[in-house]
Amino acid sequence: MQRPSHTGRGHWLALLCALALAACGGGGGDGSTSPSPDPGTSAPPVTTPPPATGETPMTPAEAARLLDQGGWGASEAALAAATKIGPKQWLSVQFDTAASRFGNYSAEIHTAGLKDFCVERNIGSNCWRDYYSAEPLSREFYQQAVSGADQLRQRTAWALSQIWVVSGHEVEGTYGLRDYQQMLRDNAFGNLRDLLGKMALHPVMGAYLNMVNNEKDAPNENFARELLQLFTIGPCELTAGGDLAGGACRATYDNAGVREVAFALTGWTYPAGGTSAWGKWDWTNPSFLRGEMLAFAEQHDQTERKLPGGVTIPASRTPRQASDAVLDALFNHPNFAPFIGKQMIQRLVTSNPAPEYVERVSAAIASGSAHGFGSGRRGDMKAVLAAILLDPEARDASRAEAAAYGRLREPTQYTINLLRAANGSTDGAPFYWWIGAMLGQMVYTAPSVFNYYPADYPLPGSPGLAPEFGLANAATAMTRYNLSDGLFYWNEGTGIKADASIPNATGTRTNIAAFESSADDANALFERIDLLLTAGRSSASTRAAIVEAINAWDPVKNKDSYRRERVRTAFYLLLASPDYQVQR
Amino acid sequence: MKRRDFLRTAAHAGGLSAAASIGLLGSLQAQAATAPGGYKALVCVFLYGGNDGLNTVVPRDAARYAQYAGVRKKLAVAQADLIPLGADYGLHPSLAALAPLWQAGVLAPVFNVGPLAVPLSKADLKTKALPDNLFSHSDQQTLWECAGRSVLARTGWGGRLAAQAGIGPVIALGSAGRFGSSDAGAALALPGPGEDFSPGGWFGGPNAARRAALETMARASYTNRLMQAYGGVQKSALDTSAALGPVLKLTPGATSTDPIDLAFGKLTGALNTPLAKQLYQVAKLIRHGSTNGSGPQVFVVAQGGYDTHADQLTRHPKLLAELGPALAAFYDATLRIGQAQAVTSFTMSDFGRTFAPNSSSGTDHAWGNHQLVIGGAVSGGKTYGQYPELVLGGKDDVGVESWERHGRWIPTIAVEQYAATLARWFGLSPSQIAATLPGLGNFPQADLGFMLA
Repeated sequence: MQRPSHTGRGHWLALLCALALAACGGGGGDGSTSPSPDPGTSAPPVTTPPPATGETPMTPAEAARLLDQGGWGASEAALAAATKIGPKQWLSVQFDTAASRFGNYSAEIHTAGLKDFCVERNIGSNCWRDYYSAEPLSREFYQQAVSGADQLRQRTAWALSQIWVVSGHEVEGTYGLRDYQQMLRDNAFGNLRDLLGKMALHPVMGAYLNMVNNEKDAPNENFARELLQLFTIGPCELTAGGDLAGGACRATYDNAGVREVAFALTGWTYPAGGTSAWGKWDWTNPSFLRGEMLAFAEQHDQTERKLPGGVTIPASRTPRQASDAVLDALFNHPNFAPFIGKQMIQRLVTSNPAPEYVERVSAAIASGSAHGFGSGRRGDMKAVLAAILLDPEARDASRAEAAAYGRLREPTQYTINLLRAANGSTDGAPFYWWIGAMLGQMVYTAPSVFNYYPADYPLPGSPGLAPEFGLANAATAMTRYNLSDGLFYWNEGTGIKADASIPNATGTRTNIAAFESSADDANALFERIDLLLTAGRSSASTRAAIVEAINAWDPVKNKDSYRRERVRTAFYLLLASPDYQVQR
Repeated sequence: MKRRDFLRTAAHAGGLSAAASIGLLGSLQAQAATAPGGYKALVCVFLYGGNDGLNTVVPRDAARYAQYAGVRKKLAVAQADLIPLGADYGLHPSLAALAPLWQAGVLAPVFNVGPLAVPLSKADLKTKALPDNLFSHSDQQTLWECAGRSVLARTGWGGRLAAQAGIGPVIALGSAGRFGSSDAGAALALPGPGEDFSPGGWFGGPNAARRAALETMARASYTNRLMQAYGGVQKSALDTSAALGPVLKLTPGATSTDPIDLAFGKLTGALNTPLAKQLYQVAKLIRHGSTNGSGPQVFVVAQGGYDTHADQLTRHPKLLAELGPALAAFYDATLRIGQAQAVTSFTMSDFGRTFAPNSSSGTDHAWGNHQLVIGGAVSGGKTYGQYPELVLGGKDDVGVESWERHGRWIPTIAVEQYAATLARWFGLSPSQIAATLPGLGNFPQADLGFMLA
């Protein structure tokens, strides 16, 4: 990143377009219209009081940690609300909060029956961006993460989207990507088995991993393999604590198992609704990316199949019976609970959970209840989230002093927590082609089904795992520094300007004037911001370095500017600190 | 415009003309005969997703081409379209930019390489040790990057090689994976052309204290291991930005006569691609390193998208049309800066793909695969290793039962052997090679001979 001149943003966008794998949207001004006349909405807060739990209300530091683990971080307003209640009450409120909604994007690319939609509709240079790419969703993702009340639901859906990955890198159709991601949000507090079904039979997943239109004679193995390896049980036998059983990789399935599942999942095509200008020549439906894939019995394999975990499905069956049998077998496999449970812990709380912690979460998945939450049915997500977030390893700050505790903030989190802490607002525009690409995390556009980083990425030079370190390197470290520079120092400190080609553009701004009331005392200012960003847990050396830099702004020599400069110095440096980079 | 249309347009716009490139390579070949003392570089080009080696290098003789076309059917490259590599083999036509390199003797295909625990024949499959999690992307990437049979490996062979050689960390321009990781830390990942590689902003006046605090925090000791590791990443960024920032920032100007800019066609046309830009950065860093006494260097670049389960006839040629020009331009750049003899680039990829297509006009995950090695010190213009017997269920196919005969080749060369041949050329002693590649001793041949002395 660099400090922009008046045209700096355009320069950057142009450069990014040149660097990126795919086309950029162009500069606008060509009269194109948004394909989303119904813009998305951030969830409003719940107004009914939470049920009494007999809990002591959270301290500010306790609340800041929970907001970090179960949401997109603390703002002073969110902290004020959370310190009135206990952690169980906070969860109750979150479970009752409705989902933020993405806009209702047009499906015309697949329903208008045109051979080249953008050309024939004469939509202009933003057509691919607005109708095919994940970019509009990414914008809404950032807007709603900053302002939506459904913080836990959004974080949970984002975590699930990184386990059951689909990507705008391969699948083209904004409306379809929207449908898949909204499905994850709407079901984030539902049941894992229901989620598995909706995920596996969604046409976007079908298109992404080639399950759609898979024929019984020679099915491709793509979805079957990743369903086993990445989405449900993993390749190696696990203990209930999520460790390798026997300390080595004992295979949970072999290639024959992959083939059997691939055969069992044949005979699905796109849902009805699409039209094609090329006409219809076989059993398949034209592309349509909303709803659920459609079964076509004649193209479904009719051979007995042995599934991983020991279940056999009979030769005579419908596609639905077979897919249910496959998903049931995987959902009930002993690996499922620790495999999914450990990854959810890693996404929300810590990269190296103790096996006992994983075991407690696995038990909650199996029983469907934890801490008074959940329906008692295996796979209940409220039970899973309560088990993760109310566990002593999550709540007890003294446990977070362990050397391997915590997780590196991923780029979305780094950015959104920053904006929330600094009373920011955003239209989400800079965080896809530009900053998202530079930080290695373009929302809903993972480079492959292996997500932005592998779940088992080793912490370099130390024991233990650190998945998000797959994106931590010299280049992205520099970009993280420079994002703060952009948001607190560019354009007279007002942040990043609006891009006229984006509908309802507002730019991305921080508003830290309120913190100037603490600026006369460097320690008080540091503590006020440190509470929001690290739950007040920065190390002594970090504090000393930042307080010294704050005090470099002299109330006498810089009498007109020192308060403002002190506040942004404190924000810039705390955001740069390893103490903030690692969520603990 | 759809993204794929955009890419197609970019590819068709054309950059480096083939004729110009051939002439240049011919005239400069003699110049590359001797390496300047001391400097060497290895450049790993990782093709993520599993490149279809069977459509990358194809047998041309009538008998084997018929076997190939008989199974590959509509996915087969037409015999007349193959770019001849002598009488026996041909390259995919999208790799036409590499033809002059074959003719100049600096390109060597190496056949059927892959992760192995021990030498393996089909008869051994049920009795001898196999690599972990065959056919899985992430795991086979790990085995290629780390060179071994265990997916629990934490360090890459590039990182271990650099550590044994006592040189700086592996430098990554694309996705680093684990190739560059060592016990000391991860690869040093650097940004693309034109990007600022320094903390931005104005650090005069009282802001000097803010800049100083960045250094203090990056160098502090933290009891938390993740914080300590992240501080280390920040430190490596701050430490290298002064020296390398200006090099990384350079982009080709319209009127530039810089030899690297010329070799890369100023990053326009077919060279306006992410891979070409990564290799352009490597070329600049090699010029900088070789003239500033940085010592030998190891680089890794990456191209993604090779997981062609469906629609392979559309997707694979486009990928190779990025790869071929980028590799050719990079070799040309090393010639123009007088380092061709000192620089060897080589491909790696998750795995090869099934010989038999699936019903989605694509291919699935397989095992042994063909790789390309390029450089002035390569004993090229010939092929290495055995091309697999193109028979489903045949001696090289891991598939025994009728339903599993898809042509997933049992490798006849281990990753360790491929790596050891490069490591020997790089200058490692036999004991250093053994320490870099602990599994090498399981295989009879430690040097495949594709590198000159």
